[in-house]
Amino acid sequence: MRIKLLALMVSAVAFIATSAHAGHHATSSAVVPEITQTAVMTGLENPWDVALLDDGTMFYTEKCKGVSVRMPNGDVHALYGMKDTSGYASMGADLHCTNQAGMLGLAVDPDFAKNRRIYVASASTKYHGDGCKTNFERCDGNIVMRMEVSKNFKSVSNRTDIVKDIQFKPFESNHPFGGNGAHNGNRPTFGPEGWLWITTGDRHRGVCPQSPTLICGKVLRIDTDGNAHPGNNPPAGFDKRIYTYGHRNVQGIAFRADGAAFTAEHGPWHNDELTMLVKGGNGGWDPQQNVGGRGDCPDEYCGYMPNQKKGVIPAIRAAYMPMSDTRFADLMPPAWQNNGYSQGTSSIDFLQGKQWGMYEGRAVVGIMGIAFGGTPAGMRLDVYDIAEDGQSIKSVIHLPVETKRYRGVTMGPDGAIYANTDEGEIYKITAK
Amino acid sequence: MKSLFISFFTLLLTINAGSATSGDAAAGEARYGVNCFICHGQKGKGMASYPKLAGKPVPYLIEKLEAYRAGTRIGPNSDLMIMNAEPLTDDEIANLAAYLSSVKSN
Repeated sequence: MRIKLLALMVSAVAFIATSAHAGHHATSSAVVPEITQTAVMTGLENPWDVALLDDGTMFYTEKCKGVSVRMPNGDVHALYGMKDTSGYASMGADLHCTNQAGMLGLAVDPDFAKNRRIYVASASTKYHGDGCKTNFERCDGNIVMRMEVSKNFKSVSNRTDIVKDIQFKPFESNHPFGGNGAHNGNRPTFGPEGWLWITTGDRHRGVCPQSPTLICGKVLRIDTDGNAHPGNNPPAGFDKRIYTYGHRNVQGIAFRADGAAFTAEHGPWHNDELTMLVKGGNGGWDPQQNVGGRGDCPDEYCGYMPNQKKGVIPAIRAAYMPMSDTRFADLMPPAWQNNGYSQGTSSIDFLQGKQWGMYEGRAVVGIMGIAFGGTPAGMRLDVYDIAEDGQSIKSVIHLPVETKRYRGVTMGPDGAIYANTDEGEIYKITAK
Repeated sequence: MKSLFISFFTLLLTINAGSATSGDAAAGEARYGVNCFICHGQKGKGMASYPKLAGKPVPYLIEKLEAYRAGTRIGPNSDLMIMNAEPLTDDEIANLAAYLSSVKSN
């Protein structure tokens, strides 16, 4: 499948918007790139994340299967599978999937050529211990594993679980999308300084995002052994691995050319957000009951209130249960919120290379969007020109690509975007 | 005469019942393309936490859609399905079932 589109109207609007500003990416030209979309892989089962080496070798996860690698010649090796899978070189019996949970994000070590390491996030039963007996207690059910890939790329070894206590939702609850395994985050990514950043979700537990000790609704910055970055500066009493807190379900994180970290975060039927992270900052999500003017909430989680089973005007929901609550003095205000809507912002990366023309340096974001309660469907890739101070955007355009549920976007070493979809494809999207 | 009338009436009922359950797969595909595909994927293949529907038996699909339309909760995504099934007519349910059951599951 191959499409070529030149979006003239979009280009004109984008040109006007960009030519009016000189942003942090002053090297970008006024040229609107021609976009080409080609399927690299099809027929996969919920591919969740992709990470590439310089020669095009592509690691990818499938949510209920495992991690595999596609070699530059097209050969595929199934490396490490989950419980009840077959065909993988080895497997972890503790790794499982349910609803939104499973094997999710992965990252390749910047020093892969020497240490052969990859990092994979997954739901796991290995560290449940005495927890996980109810939805109202600690449940260490998401982990990040470090593995070493063999020289022939046909197997992995030396699995080491470097984060063992990302929280997991063990049981169904009285909420929309209330199945177990909800809101895991789990997108590990290396920052430009070589430290590993890991996003986590609130797992439908009201106390999570503002908790100083529970790893849920947080962004972590750690080394490849799982130790906190010494420069993290969370509030007193917080786990030192925490870079930012107060998040809902961050599935996207990427770094702008100037090193600034940005997250893409789902909203709860309102206000998807892109946010520039500030060390020790608060995303402002606090779905606890009996705070912020709220009363009791179903299963002690106000995340979908008010009137959580029926359609409500998004602005009313946002006033009752804000994504970025201005009660917090350390709030990180979003650079963008989705005109009040939630359409499922899933992932983010920054476009690199002059082939992207006027889009060079801008953020590309996957919008999954299921159309609910009067909200239009997403199923697109958007490109955002984020202001240098990270407090607003200058423009946004829809990239001319197929209508798909884009779960992941990854900037490849060849200057193309690799976009994986819940439909089971991995696309290569190029510009010239 | 009375028995003839009863037979004719029974025949009408049978025809009506048949048309309500056999469904028009082409019409079902068109209805599926309105919004069902957004969660359940192209051709009902399923994706993310939204289940595969392709190849399911017609009675199963009709039963589930009618249950959701009636407000019955079945699984964690019930709120979504109830909201989307509420406006469906009998014919639309039959058409959707005919289409989805006709799609190969792999």
